[in-house]
Amino acid sequence: MDLSMYLLDLIVFIGIFSIMSLSLNLEYGFTGLPNFGKVVFFLIGAYSYALLSQAGVPFYICLIVGAIIAAVFGFLISLPALRLRIDYLAIVILTAGEIIRLIVKTEDWIGGGDWGTSVAPAIAISGTSPQVNILINIGLVYACLFICFVISRLLTNSPYGRTMRAIREDEVAAEALGKDRAKYKAQILMLGSAMAGLAGGLYVQYLHYVLPGMFMPIVTFTVWIMVLLGGPANCWGALLGACLVQIFDRGANLAKDLLTLPTDASNLQYILFGVLILLILIYRPQGLLKESAIKTRAINRIRKLKEPENNKGDYK
Amino acid sequence: MAETILKIENVCKHFGGVYAVDGVNMNIHEGGIWGLVGPNGSGKSTLFNTILGLHQPNSGDIYFKGQRTNKLSPHQIYDLGLVNAFQVPRLFPSMTVLDNMLVAARGQQGDGFFNSVFFREKWQKQEEELADEALDILELIELRKHISSLSGELSGGQRKLLEIGRGLMAKPKLLLLDEPAAGINPILGKRIFQKLQDLSHSGLTFLIVEHRLEILFEFASWIYVMDKGKTVAEGNPKDIVQEPAFYQAYLGK
Repeated sequence: MDLSMYLLDLIVFIGIFSIMSLSLNLEYGFTGLPNFGKVVFFLIGAYSYALLSQAGVPFYICLIVGAIIAAVFGFLISLPALRLRIDYLAIVILTAGEIIRLIVKTEDWIGGGDWGTSVAPAIAISGTSPQVNILINIGLVYACLFICFVISRLLTNSPYGRTMRAIREDEVAAEALGKDRAKYKAQILMLGSAMAGLAGGLYVQYLHYVLPGMFMPIVTFTVWIMVLLGGPANCWGALLGACLVQIFDRGANLAKDLLTLPTDASNLQYILFGVLILLILIYRPQGLLKESAIKTRAINRIRKLKEPENNKGDYK
Repeated sequence: MAETILKIENVCKHFGGVYAVDGVNMNIHEGGIWGLVGPNGSGKSTLFNTILGLHQPNSGDIYFKGQRTNKLSPHQIYDLGLVNAFQVPRLFPSMTVLDNMLVAARGQQGDGFFNSVFFREKWQKQEEELADEALDILELIELRKHISSLSGELSGGQRKLLEIGRGLMAKPKLLLLDEPAAGINPILGKRIFQKLQDLSHSGLTFLIVEHRLEILFEFASWIYVMDKGKTVAEGNPKDIVQEPAFYQAYLGK
């Protein structure tokens, strides 16, 4: 693979994982839901896409249906979310994810079991160069990313976004302030899961195959690092995190070919990931970008009113 | 006589063998400031939490404006207009003072998923009006110049004030206040009570737990006394100080 292909490939990966980190950012960063099962929804979207496209369904319907099926699972996960404390919820989601992966792995009728299956690309133009095909993929992935980003921004800069943060800060107080936390948690987990499902569909149609080994728990943790590094509760932070982690990942991959280590070099990446998480949590717990303030028309107007008279000590 | 807004009939709340609330009866009418006093541990805060739906009563009934609220969840009770300000403020520390206020407003259009993303025109005007109301309340509680500060950065007294302000922001019909004057300087405390009294003339009802009896008795129109989970006396502030049960509650027999 030449360098230009390598870079274009990196850009596709950054796009797909940006959608993942944006969705986790809505769940964890804004609403405080510790979704340690991100990879499940990624898997559900991926397999939905694979099976539907094999049945001859057009790609955009495959993507949308994959997202919807993932959202349904997101809703199911939100049910225990109401009863469990945050740490137990994290364990439940993590375990549920592994169970679903193992079912897919052992059941041969679901996408060929452990062997996986091939997936048709979303938009295939015969006779074009690989570069053009990858550019088509970039267009598709970034169009989806754009939609997810705009939805995230609108949602979080509204009274709804205020409620999301209130639930994160103190869910009992939010409930006592008239917020039906069950409803909000379900909606956010559904939206986040739909976005992850969409990313899963994009991922397998780009790689042209799907197999259970692509959906190990490490994917979840990679997305977590993206959010923690970029800055929870900041949509730009999610993009930055996805970008940096992908580059770091590729860098570590290249580095391991150049280094001679006394141990299996393919573990290097995971060791470095662990170190990276620790460094972030110790030295920059708020992430690279700090939490973005809520911006709505009303808030902007008050800011403007405040500015010119700031010196007089009167704020209207 | 004004209409009954909150009726509490024989409400009991037990925690294991502890009878925190053990047969409380109250009948609160619309308008005015109603006081609830009693020594520490007499069950006042537990009663508040039961009224708010944070605890389910073991027995007895609670009616708000004629509607039985026992089985309702806290957010449904809030939507009816029965609002509370916690004794220990429960603010959202990494949100600004203004956002803390706005989150409390009832009946917000922009608080729905689809409205927030697709129909922003629907709620932007409403939110601007709410923001103006929030500024007025913040003026009253002297937090106007801190609107952009994070609520976690406020001092203890300011947090207390913001907690009360947030309660007012909901435009409640009945506002429960648990020790509003505690931790606030006496002059401001009195000014707040004066303001509450003004608001009560416009139909808002307050039920206030307060240990600073001198302030409460100056403004309250009716006082309930609780002791060991029971309501032991009631009356207007002038008469209640004559009641033996009032002294017994505080001093023992």
